Amino acid sequence: MNDSRPLSPHLSIHKKVLTSIFSITHRITGIGLSVGSILISMWFLLLSLGPNYFSYFEMVSKNILFKFILVIWTIGIFYHLFNGCRKLYWSFGIGMDLITVYRSGYIVLVLTLISTAVVWLFI
Amino acid sequence: MKNYALKWVLQRVTALLLIPLTFWFIYSAISLSKMEYIEITVFFKSYINLFLFYIMMITMLLHSKLGLQTIIEDYVTSKKTSKAIKTFVNLSAYLLMILITVFTLGKMF
Repeated sequence: MNDSRPLSPHLSIHKKVLTSIFSITHRITGIGLSVGSILISMWFLLLSLGPNYFSYFEMVSKNILFKFILVIWTIGIFYHLFNGCRKLYWSFGIGMDLITVYRSGYIVLVLTLISTAVVWLFI
Repeated sequence: MKNYALKWVLQRVTALLLIPLTFWFIYSAISLSKMEYIEITVFFKSYINLFLFYIMMITMLLHSKLGLQTIIEDYVTSKKTSKAIKTFVNLSAYLLMILITVFTLGKMF
């Protein structure tokens, strides 16, 4: 890789269309979930170190902001999961015509909202 | 241009594995969120739970590492910065994988 390698996709140049917003959201949620994987690791490490260390987590989890982050996290997980399924079958060249891409995009949004609602409203 | 094809395949294999594991973890996390310390340790005393959690963590960290690499390759043009961030991401992912492995083994014996 060299310094003259072009950037892709050109976020500031391309017109914002639904498909590009879906794509960049996949990447943003991916970065967010990566941070989340560090947090789950920390949770597991604190748990393994014993009750004294785990009390640090219990202290943080009492905060209202913690619950807010969990809701956003849930949305991120479901979006990345469902949109990721789309990307998986795209890897085989399936469902790549424009109408199907838009339709599956809307399905991803609906599934994300329903799943998040099921987790937070009904359980 | 080294083993990009392998990384592309690995990114998708880990993604496929993470679909059922994510549903399992969200399902588990809902019950874990209502538990106290002692109950959570009991949860991990079950080898099935410990095994699934371990597999999920390693697969997730690997998937995350591969994804972040792709993003860095796409957006960071400076060769030096790109290499530095990638090294940081790789080391962090490996460190977490090692820690998770050590503590998982610690729970088994």
